Amino acid sequence: MRPENYQAQSHPPSNEYELFIGPNHPGIEGNYAFKLKLHGDVVLAGKADGGYLHRGFEKLMEGRLWIQNIALVPRICVPDPVPMEVTYSMAVEDLCGLEVPERAQWLRVLQLELSRIAAHLFTFGGHAATTGMYTTSYWGIADRDLILDLFEALTGGRVYHIFNIPGGTRRDVPPGFLEQVSQTLDYLESRLPDYDNLLFTNQVFITRAKDVGAMTQEQALEWGVTGPNLRATGLAFDVRRDDPYLVYEQLEFDVPTEAAGDAWARAMVRRAELKQSFRILRQVIERLPSIGGPVRAPIPNPLAWNVPAGETYARVESSKGELAYYAVSNGGDKPYRVHVRGPSSMHAVQVLEWLAEGARLEDVAQIMFSLDACPPEVDR
Amino acid sequence: MSDLSKIPIHTEKHAPEEARTNPLAGVFDELVRFAQSRSMYMLHYCTGCGAIELPPAMTSRFDMERLGIQPMVTPRQADILLVTGYVSVKTLKRIILTYEQMPSPKYVIGICSCTVNGGMYWQSYATAKKLSEYLPVDLYIAGCMPRPEAVIEGMRALMANIQSGETEPWKDYYQRYDYYLGNQQHLFGDNWQTPTDVIGQAQHYGLAGPETEGEHTRILQQYQQPLVAHKLRLK
Amino acid sequence: MTERELDTHLVTILRELESLEYRQTSPRRVRIDVTREALPGLLELLKGRASYVHLSAISCVDWIEDNEFELVYHLWSYESNHLVSAHTRIPRETARYISVYDLYKPAAFFERDIFEMFGVYFEGSPHMEKFILTEWDGPPPMRKDFDAEAYVQETFNWQSYHPDWLKELEEEGGGVAIRPEEVRR
Repeated sequence: MRPENYQAQSHPPSNEYELFIGPNHPGIEGNYAFKLKLHGDVVLAGKADGGYLHRGFEKLMEGRLWIQNIALVPRICVPDPVPMEVTYSMAVEDLCGLEVPERAQWLRVLQLELSRIAAHLFTFGGHAATTGMYTTSYWGIADRDLILDLFEALTGGRVYHIFNIPGGTRRDVPPGFLEQVSQTLDYLESRLPDYDNLLFTNQVFITRAKDVGAMTQEQALEWGVTGPNLRATGLAFDVRRDDPYLVYEQLEFDVPTEAAGDAWARAMVRRAELKQSFRILRQVIERLPSIGGPVRAPIPNPLAWNVPAGETYARVESSKGELAYYAVSNGGDKPYRVHVRGPSSMHAVQVLEWLAEGARLEDVAQIMFSLDACPPEVDR
Repeated sequence: MSDLSKIPIHTEKHAPEEARTNPLAGVFDELVRFAQSRSMYMLHYCTGCGAIELPPAMTSRFDMERLGIQPMVTPRQADILLVTGYVSVKTLKRIILTYEQMPSPKYVIGICSCTVNGGMYWQSYATAKKLSEYLPVDLYIAGCMPRPEAVIEGMRALMANIQSGETEPWKDYYQRYDYYLGNQQHLFGDNWQTPTDVIGQAQHYGLAGPETEGEHTRILQQYQQPLVAHKLRLK
Repeated sequence: MTERELDTHLVTILRELESLEYRQTSPRRVRIDVTREALPGLLELLKGRASYVHLSAISCVDWIEDNEFELVYHLWSYESNHLVSAHTRIPRETARYISVYDLYKPAAFFERDIFEMFGVYFEGSPHMEKFILTEWDGPPPMRKDFDAEAYVQETFNWQSYHPDWLKELEEEGGGVAIRPEEVRR
C-alpha cells in the first residue's frame, strides 16, 4: 500500500481482539488456519478456516480409472497414508466381490500397524513441541524414520507406497524383511522408557496437558469424535475390534482407554496404542511365514476394468480415528462418486472450535496436536 | 527415449561484469555472499505433501542445521521461502503475501513436482500449476516427494549459487513486476492487491525497469483501495 | 463370519414406518431407502430408540441423468455394531433439504461440504457459508456438469515440454524424445 492511501482506522475501545493463527504458523499442524477471538489470553470463540489444501480429490477420482486412483488416495492424509490405500482397495473389492488372499490381508495388517506407529510417533513429536519440549519431537521424528526405512525396503517409497491395490498387494515381502521389522520393534520398544522419562512422566508435560481441551464422553459422542480421542474419554470402541476387517478378528490386542478426555489422556491412549501395535506386529511376524498362497487375487485388465454398479461404505481405524470411503460405481471404468470421510473432518473443524472455546491462547496449538488433526483430510 | 548419457552438459557462461576501480570491492562482495550463503533462515510454508519430509530433514537424523540452515518462523526474518508441494489457489494468495513481506535478497525453492507443472493434480481446478508464473523461483527440487537428502542437496545447490552470485531472481520480481502481477490477476481477478508497495520498493532499490509498470499495474492502481480491517463474524 | 441378527429395536422401528425399504447388504451393513419426507423422522427414531448415535458421514451423489441428488446418511450404533445407510433422493433443480443438525452435531460439517461442492442448501444448518472454496467463484465443482479438465485447460498454462535449451541440446545430438501422443496440449 502506498503511504498516501493509508487511512487510520478508528475502533471503539474494547478488551477483545482477534487473532489469526496460520496458515503459515509453527503451531498449526499443516496448512490450516484458525481465527480466534480473545479476551486477554482466554479464547472466547474460535473459527477454523480450511481449504488451503483443497485439491478436489473427489472430482479428480471421477476422472481417472479405478486403478489409477490408488496413486491418488494416499495423498489425502500424508502422515498416515496406508489406511487410505487399504480402505479404497477394500471399497473396490467390495464392489467387485473380490476375495483378497489371506496372505495379502496379513501383509496389509503389517503395513497398517507400521503406519500407525509412524503416525503416533509423529504426533508425539508435534504434541511435545507445542508444550515446548523439542527433544521428543527430534527423537520421535528420527525414530519414525526407521519405520519409513522399513517401508522403503518393502515398497520402495518412504512416505507414499502405492503398494496395496484392489485384490491384494503388489508384491510379497523381500527376504529378511520380517527380521528387520522385528529388530526395529525391539529398538522402538527399548525407546519407550526414554519417551516416558522425556515426556509422559515429565511434570512439565503433565502440568501443561492435564485438563486442557477436555471433553466428556457424552460430548465426544455428540460431536462425532472417533479413534484415540474417543477412547481417551473412556469408551472402548475400535473399528478393528467392533467392525472387524482384514484378519483383525484373528489377532489379539486390547483397546486401551483413559477416562479424563483431556490432552494428556489422548497422549496416553496413543502411547498405549503403540504397545498394542507392537503386539499385533509380533503376531503378524509369527504367523506370516506359515501362510502361503498368492498375494494378489487375479483382477481383470486394470485399464479396462468395469467395476459392477453398486455402492459401498468401507471403513477402517486409521491412527486418527474412523476413516471411511463411500464409493459408487455405475458400471463404468471410473468411479461415479467417491466420498472420503476423514476422521479429522470432525476433529480439526468443529471439535477444535468447541474445545478452543474457553482455553488459553497458548493451549490452542496443543489442543490441535493432541486431537491429531490432519488438515488434508478436511480439505481433500 | 534417448540415452541420458548422450545429453551434453549445458553450461551458460555469464558475461564478465565491468571491472571496478576499487580492488577491494570484489573481495567485500564475495565476503558478503559467503556470509549470506551460510546463514540461511528458511520459512517452510507447508503448502502440501512435501512438508512431511522436512521434519526428518531438520531433526536428528538428517540434521539440516549442520549446514547452517534453520527454520524461521516469520517471513520478516527469513531468507528462503520453501514452497513444499502443490499450491492451491487459496494458498497461492498467502504465498504471494508472504513472499512480498520477506526482505531482499530472498530466494524461493519449489519442492515436489506439483510446483513445477501441477504434478499429479494437473486436472485439479483448485491448484495452480506453474509456481514460476507467480513468483520468481530460484530452484526446483523435483520428486514426489523428494527425499530429505534431495532437499538438503537442493539447499546446498542454492548455497553454492548464492556464494557465486549466480542466483538473483528476486530482482526479477521488481524488474518484471507487471508480468507476475498479470498472472496473479488472471487467477485472482482484477481487484487483487497486496499490502506491499512493490513498485515503490523497486524504485527505492533502484531496480525499477521498463517492465516494472505496465497494463497490469495500471489495473492494480485502478482497483487499489485503502486497506480496511477485516471484519470477522465470530460469535 | 456368522450372519448376525439385526437388532430387534431396529427391526421394530423399520416395520413401524411406512414408505421405506430395507435390506441387509452384509453382516453389519443395512441399507434403507426412504422418501425425502420420511428421512428426518427415521433418523430421529434411529437415534432416540435404536442407539444410532454416531453420524459417520453424509454423502451426496449427483445422478444427473435422473435429475436428482442422492443423499446418504451413514449411521453407526456403538451398541449393536451395525452401520445403517439411509438413502434418499431430492430433485436437482430445487437442491434444498432439511438440516439434521439438531439431531446430529457432525451434520454441520458434512452439510456445509455438500453445500459448497454440490450447491445443496440445507435449511436450518448453522454454517451455510463457504469454508473450503472461499476463493472460488465458479459453479459447485462436484456437480457432474462442471468439467474440471476444460476449466483447467483454459485457466492455467503448462510448462513447455520443448523449451529452447532442449532444442539446443537436440541440435548437438542429445535431448529427450517425447512421442507426439504424449504431448499434453
